[in-house]
Amino acid sequence: MDLSRRGFLQAAALTAAASGLTVACGGSSGSGGTKNGKDLTLWYWGGALSDKVVAEAKTHFSSSVKLTTASIGGDFKQKLTTTLAAGTSVPDITGIKGEDIASFLPNAARFLDLNDLGFKKLSSQYLDWKTKLAQTEDGRQIGFPIDIGPTALFYRADLFDKAGLPTDPDKVAARAKSWEDYFALGTELKKKVPGTYLVNNISSVFTQAVGQGTKRFIDKNNHFIGDQDHIRAAWTTAIRPYTLGLDAKINDNTWNAAIGKSLSTELGAAWHALDIEQAAPGTKGKWRVCAMPGGPANQGGSYLALPKQCRNPEEAFKIISWILSPANDARGFTDAAIFPAAPAAYAMPAMTGPDAFFGGQKIIEVFGPAAKAIPVSYEAPADAAVMAPYMTELTNIEAKGKKPDDAWKDAVSQAKQIARRQGVS
Amino acid sequence: MTATDTTRPATGARRLRRPKGLTAHIILILAVVISVFPFLWTIVMATNTTRDIYKSPPKLTFGSHLLENIRHVLHTIDFFGSMFNTVVVASVTTVLVLFVDSLAAFTFAKFDFPGRKVLFGVLLGFMMLPLQLAVLPQFILMSKIGWVGMLKALTLPALANAFGIFWLRQYIENGVPDELLDAARIDGAGFFRQYWNIALPMIRPAMSFLAIYAFVNAWNDYIWPLVVLTNPDHVTLQVELAQLYVGHTTDYSMVMAGVLMAAVPLVVVFTIFARGFIAGATEGAVQGS
Amino acid sequence: MSSPPVTGSAEVSPRLGGPGPARFRPRRTPPAGAVRPRRRGLLSHWRQYLAISPFFLVFLAFSFFPVFYSLYLAFQRWDGLGDMQFVGLQQFRFLWSDPVFWLSIRNTLVIWVLSTVPTLFGALVLATLLHSVRRFKGFYRIALYVPNVTSIVAVSIFFGAVFSNNFGLVNAILGTVGISPVPWMSNPWLIKVVIALLMTWMWTGYNMIIYLAGLQAIPGQIYEAAKIDGAGPVRTFFQITLPIMRPIILFTVVISTINGLQSFSEPQVLFANNAANANLGGPGQAGLTTLLYFYQSAFLNNDYGYGAAIVWAFFVLIMVLVVVNWRIVQRGRKS
Repeated sequence: MDLSRRGFLQAAALTAAASGLTVACGGSSGSGGTKNGKDLTLWYWGGALSDKVVAEAKTHFSSSVKLTTASIGGDFKQKLTTTLAAGTSVPDITGIKGEDIASFLPNAARFLDLNDLGFKKLSSQYLDWKTKLAQTEDGRQIGFPIDIGPTALFYRADLFDKAGLPTDPDKVAARAKSWEDYFALGTELKKKVPGTYLVNNISSVFTQAVGQGTKRFIDKNNHFIGDQDHIRAAWTTAIRPYTLGLDAKINDNTWNAAIGKSLSTELGAAWHALDIEQAAPGTKGKWRVCAMPGGPANQGGSYLALPKQCRNPEEAFKIISWILSPANDARGFTDAAIFPAAPAAYAMPAMTGPDAFFGGQKIIEVFGPAAKAIPVSYEAPADAAVMAPYMTELTNIEAKGKKPDDAWKDAVSQAKQIARRQGVS
Repeated sequence: MTATDTTRPATGARRLRRPKGLTAHIILILAVVISVFPFLWTIVMATNTTRDIYKSPPKLTFGSHLLENIRHVLHTIDFFGSMFNTVVVASVTTVLVLFVDSLAAFTFAKFDFPGRKVLFGVLLGFMMLPLQLAVLPQFILMSKIGWVGMLKALTLPALANAFGIFWLRQYIENGVPDELLDAARIDGAGFFRQYWNIALPMIRPAMSFLAIYAFVNAWNDYIWPLVVLTNPDHVTLQVELAQLYVGHTTDYSMVMAGVLMAAVPLVVVFTIFARGFIAGATEGAVQGS
Repeated sequence: MSSPPVTGSAEVSPRLGGPGPARFRPRRTPPAGAVRPRRRGLLSHWRQYLAISPFFLVFLAFSFFPVFYSLYLAFQRWDGLGDMQFVGLQQFRFLWSDPVFWLSIRNTLVIWVLSTVPTLFGALVLATLLHSVRRFKGFYRIALYVPNVTSIVAVSIFFGAVFSNNFGLVNAILGTVGISPVPWMSNPWLIKVVIALLMTWMWTGYNMIIYLAGLQAIPGQIYEAAKIDGAGPVRTFFQITLPIMRPIILFTVVISTINGLQSFSEPQVLFANNAANANLGGPGQAGLTTLLYFYQSAFLNNDYGYGAAIVWAFFVLIMVLVVVNWRIVQRGRKS
């Protein structure tokens, strides 16, 4: 007994010493003085980039630098923020999620201006609105666009057929031109095929409706505009399917189970196709895509950025412009359902092929035009935080039966408060 | 306050309660079923496919997809590497916690010195503050001493948890008689000899409880390792597991296989050590009186 | 030999029943033969200070400093990266009029009560039963403690799957006896019930072991005497076991209060799957605990000053609760 305890202690001490040694070696790559380091680290998260392209980048640049990549799980933004705040062990290249880019803009000084490294020459290859979202007021470019999330309407052709509705994408798009048309379509669908719902929840409708506009919750002068007509209109649109009984009211993990059964349509970005495919493989061939009612919006889509501490800016910029070149970006679409931010990619074979999950439809014909027609809007750093209460109140309507007008008032007053807290006037 | 003689403990209790033995067993077995069921159900989910889980009603029997799910997990994350890291961190943390906490608890329980009450009160008060509060300042501190990304950055914050002191002090106060310490002192034993030769052997049961507590906590810690382990080659199991459920949809059966693989070693180790530890805990307390 | 320690500390303490949690044994009297180290100042206690110093050094760096740093933060506006801006008490004024903060407090308290009461009651019952049986003791102990060995993240995923509205096992079972699906994950009350069940499942066995250690320290003679007096098992439990166990129960109440009020991972993992929705805590924010709200404010909204203010306001609240708790238990002692 005593002996084994001593043995255990010794073993623990040994392992402690050993681990101290190994980590001491591993972590010594601190802040080098010169800016031509041979080791570069790249942080991203699962699905942000094509793993194949990243692997090729390692060999492609192996003569000049050693590229180490880390796929970070959990809350990527929190990890990046704490690391940047501490200023050590900062990655040389990092991904930034589309929904987070605005909140990093006030601290653009923490990143290198990509324009200094030659992004200006390349920028025409990428969608202008996407590039602008990663740009400060004074023109510093902190993010290099990876992908975008053009939205569309996904629908179950078999259910449409059952209801005697058109199934051809162009015809469906014509029948669902405006939100009102779309809801009318849903009412008919529900009558003919009982037990199906048009939308999974009304927050998703709200998100898309807001994204179709050119204004969001805060304007360029840092004023709160979340109580104005454009938001109110999006809100009213979102309430419609609820009052019409077309809302499945799904706000939890049951979406996975419902998607193959009771949901007749989905509003979502290009990458959402993969979600549907994974959650409901049994519905292969039954889905189609067409233009979204009321026009396209953008949902998601990320960037690569170079933190100030980057040990070799020139090489790092070469690497990201290689990884994100239109040709390689197009491969991301096949590997990881990443929809490129470079329009030149849309004509490449990797993207123009028919998609078996959508019954052989060439979905680029829907998403390509949508990508180019996405409205440019200003997204303030506090935008996501200010939007949250609207989403909460919409779920309150669904979960507790709260009156939509009361919910609107509460949403606006809370949004105002959050805006004040975040320094918005 | 008549001190009673305690030579044959617990026999009275046994005789008193024998008639309701059967009812007791039935209730206990029911409780065991409830506490073990999630493990069984996790196995059910890990051996089926995600589609089986999403069926309604869900599939209730074991499937044949366990190996496939495990292969999937091993393909997605560095399971064994991160598990090795976790074992190292948890072991070192546990040893440190046991030593540091028992020494402090012994002092607090058996000695009076200026500032004792204040210091202990501060400990207690800080136990009530959520650890998440400290994440950012701790990270800044770690970066100042250059430990960011290293496994040793996980040990010290775990050591700052006052639970062990609180628990051991409670136990030492009651379980280590003053008379024994006094006797040792008359024999010439100094402070540290009293701690090492007398107190420590007597509180072994409470120490094993704390050991399991500390080990399990270190094993399951998530937020701090996620933040501080910036080096992808040095992450712990829980951080790697989190990789399994990023993305927009979740492959439930694979996640469950991962959860199972992470839990099995812990449960096995626990069961082996627990046989001695909990059994010892109770006898030790009686011996101590 | 001597009087049994557990009963000793429970009975010899009219003068020890102070309000603070730090209830000490009477000062250890030095043995008659020893030289009395009377008032030789701090230096004479160097061994004691040395003994507690490893802990306190770590504590100072990793608890004390961060906590006071965060108090400093509560008076600033800071996004985590840029410059701090002193705003005085503004964050606390925001807090006062923030309905979400008060909602989170209500949620936390409800979840705490729903989990702590059944946990401690169940643990006491199980410990008593376990103490009374003779066979399979070891098996029961291990089997009942094992939930505490699992990670909260794993358990939360598991509960999310089992209580899922559409494909969950619980609703499937209810369905076989003709009960229509219960909206476990969308009804504001049921959300709290599920979170509380999760915590109860995890912590009952843990508290049971602590109680069991206490029960086994009670000498058999006391029960012997009670039996001679003609007391039945129930009366014995309430008149002998419970009073003797009081200090240990108090310990568990304090620990469960701390754990229960800090619930965070459970609702976070249960409801974090909806990536498109920035709301934490599920539908109607019914599972939004105060700590989760702190996490959302600081790490998701980059509002570190407000996050710090939330935690500090909450800390004050917990302290008040603990003191009230303590007072009630103390009053119970006297009667």
